[in-house]
Amino acid sequence: MKLLPHWVSRSALAALVVALAIGAVLPSLFGWSVYTRNQVTETMLFVAAALAWNWMGGYLGQVSFGHSAMFGIGGFISARLLLAVHVPFWSAWIVGGVVAALYALLWGHPTLRLRGPYFSIATIGVGEATRLVMTYWEDLTGGSSGLSLRIVPGLKSELYYWGLALLALVIGASYALRKSTFGLGLLAIKSDVDAAGDVGISPTLMQDVVLLLSGFTVGLTGAFYASYQSYIEPGDMFGFDRSISFVLMAVIGGVGTIIGPALGAVIFVILRQYLIASYPQLYLGIYGVLLIVVILFEPLGMVGLAYRIARRLHLLRPDTEAKLEMKAAVGGAAASPEVREGGGG
Amino acid sequence: MERFTELVVAAVLLAGLYATMAYGLGIIYGVLRIVNLNHGGVIMAGAYLGWVMHERLGIDPYLSIPIVMVFSFLLGILVYRVLVRHLPRGAAGGVQSLLLLFGVWLVLRNVAYLLFTGNDQTIRTEYSTRSIVAFGLALSVNRVAVFVIAVLMLIALHLFLTRTFTGKAIRAVAQNADSCTLVGVDVERIYALTFAIGTALAGLAGLLGAMLFSFNPSYGSSDLLKSFVIVVLGGLGSVVGTAAASLILALVEVFAILALPAYLTGAVGFVLLVLVLVIRPGGLFGQRVLG
Repeated sequence: MKLLPHWVSRSALAALVVALAIGAVLPSLFGWSVYTRNQVTETMLFVAAALAWNWMGGYLGQVSFGHSAMFGIGGFISARLLLAVHVPFWSAWIVGGVVAALYALLWGHPTLRLRGPYFSIATIGVGEATRLVMTYWEDLTGGSSGLSLRIVPGLKSELYYWGLALLALVIGASYALRKSTFGLGLLAIKSDVDAAGDVGISPTLMQDVVLLLSGFTVGLTGAFYASYQSYIEPGDMFGFDRSISFVLMAVIGGVGTIIGPALGAVIFVILRQYLIASYPQLYLGIYGVLLIVVILFEPLGMVGLAYRIARRLHLLRPDTEAKLEMKAAVGGAAASPEVREGGGG
Repeated sequence: MERFTELVVAAVLLAGLYATMAYGLGIIYGVLRIVNLNHGGVIMAGAYLGWVMHERLGIDPYLSIPIVMVFSFLLGILVYRVLVRHLPRGAAGGVQSLLLLFGVWLVLRNVAYLLFTGNDQTIRTEYSTRSIVAFGLALSVNRVAVFVIAVLMLIALHLFLTRTFTGKAIRAVAQNADSCTLVGVDVERIYALTFAIGTALAGLAGLLGAMLFSFNPSYGSSDLLKSFVIVVLGGLGSVVGTAAASLILALVEVFAILALPAYLTGAVGFVLLVLVLVIRPGGLFGQRVLG
C-alpha cells in the first residue's frame, strides 16, 4: 500500500506528528505563563516567515530584501477585512495571504528572470516603494497612525494553536519543497539555470511558483501578526528592518536548510528580547556584525557550525560526511570550505 | 516653456552627481563581479565627514573633497582586505558578498546614529543660497559647482582607465582575470585598488550630495538604488552609458514632480529600476566592459 509519495520519509513524518502533539500539550503541561505562551506564539510566527523566505533565498538562491512588502500587505488586507465584515479571522488571513501572493507575482514574475544579484537589488526597490506608497495610502493602512483591530477576549490563547498549525504546514511545505521532484528541480535551478533549462526544467514557472508560495506564506504570517498584535502600522509592517529580520533569521540559522531558519528565528527572537531591548541604539549594528561574522566564518550558519563540531568529534559516518559535503557545495548558499579556499585568492 | 527649460537644466545638473555615484558602483561590479551593498553606507559616511569638517573644523566643504576621497579610499581598502577578499569569487560568492556588505552598511549606519543621532543635518555655507544667472536662468552656485566637479572627476577617471598602465590593467582584469595573472598583473592588488576607487567615488558623491540635500544616517539607501538603476540602464563601466543613464533618471525624476503627488516621487526611481530590469536587463547600450 502506498499512501505517501516516495520522497516522504516515515521517520520525518512521525517526528513532525510527535513534535506537534508535544507542542499542543506543552502550555498546560508546564503551566506556561501568558507571557511565555505569547513569546512562543510570536516565535512560531517568525519561524514560519523565515522558512518561507528561505524557499526563495535558500532553495533558489534568490535573496529577497523586500519580503516586508508581502508581510505588510497580508497584515493590512486581513486587518481591513476584519474591521469591515464579521468573518472568522482565519478566512481573513487567507485573503491577506492570497493578495500578498498576487502582489509578489506582480513584481516577481518579471524580476525573477534576472540572474545574479540583480533580483536582490530589485527587491530592495520593491520593498522601499511599497513602504512609501503604503505609508501614504491612508484609506488602506490608516497612514502613520496605523490600524487597531477589535480586541477579542481569549484570542491569544487560541492563536497559540493556530500558530502551531501554521508552523506544521510551513515545515511540511519546506520539507516537500526540498525533497520532492519539484524540490530537486529548484536545486538544479540554483546550481545552474541554463543547465536546468536544458534538462527540461522550466526555471520561469518554478521560480514563479516558489515566489507565489513564499509570498502567500509571508502574507499569512503578516495577517497572523496583525491579529496577534491587534494594532499595526505601516512603518513597522513594511519597514526595511522587517525585511532584514527575515534575511537574518535564515542566515544565522543556515540558509537552504529546514532546521536552520527555524533555529535562526528562535535565536533572533531571544536576541531581540534580551540584547536589543537593553541596547536599542545598537540593534542595527548588532544585525550587521552578526551578518558579517556568519558569512565570514560559517556561511551555513548554526547548521554549518553543528556539522563542523560533529565532524571534529567524529560523530558522522564517512558516507554521511560525503553527503554533507555535496550538500554544502550545491545545497546551501555557501560553497564548501574547500571551494572557498581555492577561490579566495 | 521657461519652466520646461528650468527643469531640463535642473536635471542635467543633478545628473552629474548621479553619474559619480553610479560609476563608483559600476566599476566595482565590472571588475570584481560584486555588488557593493555598502555603497549607500559610504555615501552617508562621506556626507557626514564633510559635515563634521565644516561644522567642527571650519573647512570649506569643497576644500575637504581630497580628505573625504582619501578617507573613503582607505575605507575601501580596509573593507576589501579585511572582509571581501575572503569571499569566494563568481556565482558562489554572489549571495555571500551581498549579505556581507549589507552587514557592513548596517554597522556604518549604526555608528552614524551613535555619533550624530538620527536628526537631519545640512551643510550650510554662506554661498548656499547664492545663485548665478546664465542663459537667462538663475542657477544655484552649489548645483553648478557639484556638476562641474562631478564631470571633471569622471573625465579624470576615464583618462586614468584608458591612458595609464594601472587603468589598463583594471580594464584587463574586468575582461579576464585569469589571463591577467598569466601576463604578470597582480590581480589581487587591482581588485583592492578598484574596490577602493569605487568606494572613494561613493564618498565623493556623498559629500557632493550633502551640499544639495539634507541627510541622516539612513541617507544613501535611495542613492544606492538610483546608482543601480543607472548602472543597469547604462551598462557596466561605460562612462558615456553612465552619463546618459544618469541624465535619463534625473529627467524622469524631475519631471515626475509635475505629474505625481510629492510622496510618490521617491518611488519613481524604484519603478524605473524594475521597468529597466524587465525591458532591458542588458542595459540600453548593451553590456560593455570598462572603458
